[in-house]
Amino acid sequence: MAKKLHITNNIRKLRFSANEMTQQQLADKVGASRQTIIAIEAGKYAPSLELAFKIADAFDVHIGDVFDYEGRAGGK
Amino acid sequence: MSYQEKRSIVSMLTAVIVLGAYWLYAYGKVQSNAVAADDMRFWAITMLVFIGIGIVVAVVIQLLFHILLSIAVAVREKSREGDGDEQERGSTIESDMVTDERDQLIELKSMRVSFIVVVIGFVSALVLLIIHPSMAVMLNILYGSFYIGSLAGSVIQLFYYKRGIRYG
Repeated sequence: MAKKLHITNNIRKLRFSANEMTQQQLADKVGASRQTIIAIEAGKYAPSLELAFKIADAFDVHIGDVFDYEGRAGGK
Repeated sequence: MSYQEKRSIVSMLTAVIVLGAYWLYAYGKVQSNAVAADDMRFWAITMLVFIGIGIVVAVVIQLLFHILLSIAVAVREKSREGDGDEQERGSTIESDMVTDERDQLIELKSMRVSFIVVVIGFVSALVLLIIHPSMAVMLNILYGSFYIGSLAGSVIQLFYYKRGIRYG
């Protein structure tokens, strides 16, 4: 059985860079609840590809700039 | 505590209240010899009535919960932003209650647990029917397993909201 990946993210950093966007504002932009954004930021929930792309779009960056996984060669 | 966690606790309380009320009523009747324990008509009517009561209680409790939560969120937002914008306050209440993919995933996982509990209840009822042939006992185990399944589903929901959830 393949080892499970631990997904990491830079959402907190990106929010700060995006004029200190709040979790609520991000949640409204991507159509999710604030609780889901909190869970993603805390690494307690790995979003679907669709939501991951929406989050990347909200910051106008590539999906790889938002999400990564632990142990990837050359990972951030 | 999030809206979803509070909703799971409310669902749990509803299941406990309705199952407790059923237990008190039905076994009170049997204990006082008002009805015979093997009176299938009594059990069928009682269960049907309590299914109806369960639906009404669940709707009323959820309504009250939503009203109280809306008031709590409005008060919280008002104290945070002063007078603020009424429309903005309304959108905060809505976004606190929004259901998204994470909620759907948690609901799916909790439904799986509920289903497993109901299946265990059904098999146990059949096994008990072989050991102790009583239709009343079988019916009660089946009826109880639906409530316990619902209770287990709410507990699992609460667990996933607290701990977090992953696909797979």
